[in-house]
Amino acid sequence: MALVMISSLYQGGREALAQTLADKIHWPMLTREELQEQAKQQGIKVGRLEVSMIKGPSFAEKLAREKKLYLAFLTATLCEKALEGNLVYYGRAGHFLLPGVSHRLRVGLTAPLDVRIQRTAKLLNMRPEQAESYLIQLDEDMAKWIHQVHHAAGQDPNQFDVFFNLETTTVNNAAEILRRMAQLPEYQPTATSTRMLKDLHLRAQAELRLLLDERTRDVDLKVQAEHQVVTVTYPPHHDAISEAITQVLADLKDCREIQCTMAETNILWVQERFKSESESFHQILHLAQRWGAAVELMRLISPEEATQDDETVDGLSPYQFGRRECPMEDDGGVEDDDPAAMVNDGGLGAAMETLIDRGRCGGGRTVCGGYDKILERVRGDGNYALVVVGDMFLSKGHSTRTRRTRELAMSIRDRLKAPVITMEELKSRFLFGKRQAVTLAGFGVILALIYILVFRNQDPVLTFLSGPIHQQMKWLAPIVVVLLVPTIAYLYGTMTDLILKLINID
Amino acid sequence: MHTLITYIDIDLFTALQVVLLGFIGGILSGFIGSGGAFFMTPGMMNLGVDGVISVASNITHKFGKAMVGSRKHAAAGNVDKKLAAYMLITAVIGIQIAVAINSHLFKGGGGSHGAGGSAGANLYISLVFATILSAVAVSMLRDVLKSRGNGEESGGPSQKIAEFFSRLNLPPVIYFSVADTKISLWVLMAGGISTGYLAGTIGVGGFIGVPAMIYVFGVPTAVATGTELFLALFMGAYGALSYAYQGFVDIRLTMLLYLGSLVGIHLGVYGVKVVNERYIRIVTSLIILLCVFSRIIAMPVYLRQLGLVSYEAGYDRYFNMGSKFFLFASGISGAAVILLKVVGAYRQRRKIQKTLLVTKKPESKMVESMKAA
Repeated sequence: MALVMISSLYQGGREALAQTLADKIHWPMLTREELQEQAKQQGIKVGRLEVSMIKGPSFAEKLAREKKLYLAFLTATLCEKALEGNLVYYGRAGHFLLPGVSHRLRVGLTAPLDVRIQRTAKLLNMRPEQAESYLIQLDEDMAKWIHQVHHAAGQDPNQFDVFFNLETTTVNNAAEILRRMAQLPEYQPTATSTRMLKDLHLRAQAELRLLLDERTRDVDLKVQAEHQVVTVTYPPHHDAISEAITQVLADLKDCREIQCTMAETNILWVQERFKSESESFHQILHLAQRWGAAVELMRLISPEEATQDDETVDGLSPYQFGRRECPMEDDGGVEDDDPAAMVNDGGLGAAMETLIDRGRCGGGRTVCGGYDKILERVRGDGNYALVVVGDMFLSKGHSTRTRRTRELAMSIRDRLKAPVITMEELKSRFLFGKRQAVTLAGFGVILALIYILVFRNQDPVLTFLSGPIHQQMKWLAPIVVVLLVPTIAYLYGTMTDLILKLINID
Repeated sequence: MHTLITYIDIDLFTALQVVLLGFIGGILSGFIGSGGAFFMTPGMMNLGVDGVISVASNITHKFGKAMVGSRKHAAAGNVDKKLAAYMLITAVIGIQIAVAINSHLFKGGGGSHGAGGSAGANLYISLVFATILSAVAVSMLRDVLKSRGNGEESGGPSQKIAEFFSRLNLPPVIYFSVADTKISLWVLMAGGISTGYLAGTIGVGGFIGVPAMIYVFGVPTAVATGTELFLALFMGAYGALSYAYQGFVDIRLTMLLYLGSLVGIHLGVYGVKVVNERYIRIVTSLIILLCVFSRIIAMPVYLRQLGLVSYEAGYDRYFNMGSKFFLFASGISGAAVILLKVVGAYRQRRKIQKTLLVTKKPESKMVESMKAA
């Protein structure tokens, strides 16, 4: 079951070399175009994926699922063919496929640009200048594709076992060299490499199933396969998915066992003061225990607080969204041996101790500044399942505190692309009890009566507002209007508020 | 009853249209602090309601709508009552100046919200409307696009004008705790009176007041929206009293508007809480621009009536239709994009809330305590 994977740029000679080799050694041949055709038949949007990869990252992010599906399909199909026997494959970046399988012979190929231009011009009926521009653009697009899909440079010689330049070497001689190389012991399948191939096949099959099934397609799952055991790792906020995973992979061929594991991750809690006895603390701890997550504490303080004796601090609001330089150094989460340093830490130390006791501590640090300081700290640290913005702006009034906390949470959410909520949202539980039901019903009845009264007696009402009665007592209409209108607004407004709260729009 | 005023018959279809007008107006009010008059008044007139009754019923409805909306905004921390008080006093002075000037200039005519008037008055109001509001909208839009282009470090509206006035340091300087900003009383007076004057001239409140608070006073966008709505409460109350005294209020229309607007305003306020403030400014400026365009299209009619241009009078119909189209397009498209964002944000929050509320413990599943790959 030897494998020869030939890669080159467009019109670099891969088709000719693969065909010559296949004819010499009588091995079946598989092409990239055949694989793509099969992928399209499976419903994978290959064309759209190619365009998105070439256009740029923002487009590519939206087709992340398509990319995974495409790679899984390619790998599964290639593995299936490779397990049947010897195989010659050619494509753009075939050498990146089947990683870790030691009996692959990875062949790189290049041809002089003018040769490629000639071939392209002849094939596509172009003038040489047109063919050159076309090739240059195509090479750039291919480089982007390979970078986006395989996260590597396409023509890096380090990625190949052998690299041919067809300027001097003929296709026939190159094929002859490959025929002999394919017989070398290094490129013969071993028990280990065959098992690796089987594991790759199993993993790709599992990934395909999970990506195609509507229960699991939208969840970010990591799949591994080793010794016929498939391990699927899911994010903590999808802890209900494990049952679905088991069902989707239930009858997977050559699979001995399926294991589902929850990924380890952190909850980041940003606050000005921490109190380990508070209700918020217990809620976050409970959440962390449920998710198997660690809680990382970040105490955010304003530069004003940090520099109370500093005369250079002016009277402007400290939360200028990070424009202010904070003279206090961040402690980077390192605890000081000097107990005096712990005196005014906003309860951070005590909170961390409680978390350590519960085995949920993910560290703690003090940051001075605005949201950009938070982002500077968290970006690149990776895995936050949730960011909770707690009690902030404690020196401000209630209205300012509510608004600024909300704005801070939104800014973090926009930039981190992680779920961010405020403590208020975590705590809020709207309970629709008897009182609310009575209010709703009562107000509804009163309102209905008013509307029926007015609309069943339209003429008298209009006469009162602008007819003979109004002419005699002009002052009466404004009084009635000014009393009635806000009453209706209050009744209906309250009803609407209750109903929208019930469906969580608040 | 006023012999010259006729009240429309309200059947079910008409009633539903009025409710829909209220719904769209409510969303706009809750989200951008403005959205009543420019949309609902011409909307009602389109249904055959007399101009002055449309204005009167809308202003009366504004009273209650603003009361509910500002209460919601206040709960979200978006209403600075102290600032509203200063704005109200200075705006009233500005309005009185505008009324005096306009009455003198256009004896027997003039007016806002499309409620009749000579061609000269209409042209003057439209010109001022188009000039001032297009400058406001274009500046807002440029500011938003510029801050986007500068990358993520620049957040919030441009503070250049506010910082300029702040550097002048003209005492007495007043601190507004909810807006968390300091404004010189002189700047406040000048800004408030100008806002009032423009409001009295071209009949718009929030379209001038909200940008003025954001860019001249340096007030955060959400607070500008909430405070403007709070101001509208008093304007509405005063308007309701005045028009009811004159006998122009059709309480039926007011009540029907409420059925839509009070739902819409809740959604609009919710939208303010869940979207980036930059989005509020984008939506505001786009709506203003469409309204300006609507006014510009109507101007040839006034020019023809004044004899400054000549064309077949029959073409007036098309200009008016075009003007109406853009007016309704601004309101409907504005409400649609706000709703889209609200629905998106709501679904995202539900998703997060669902994960927080899941009670199944991981130990009950087939879970190994392995580290993730």
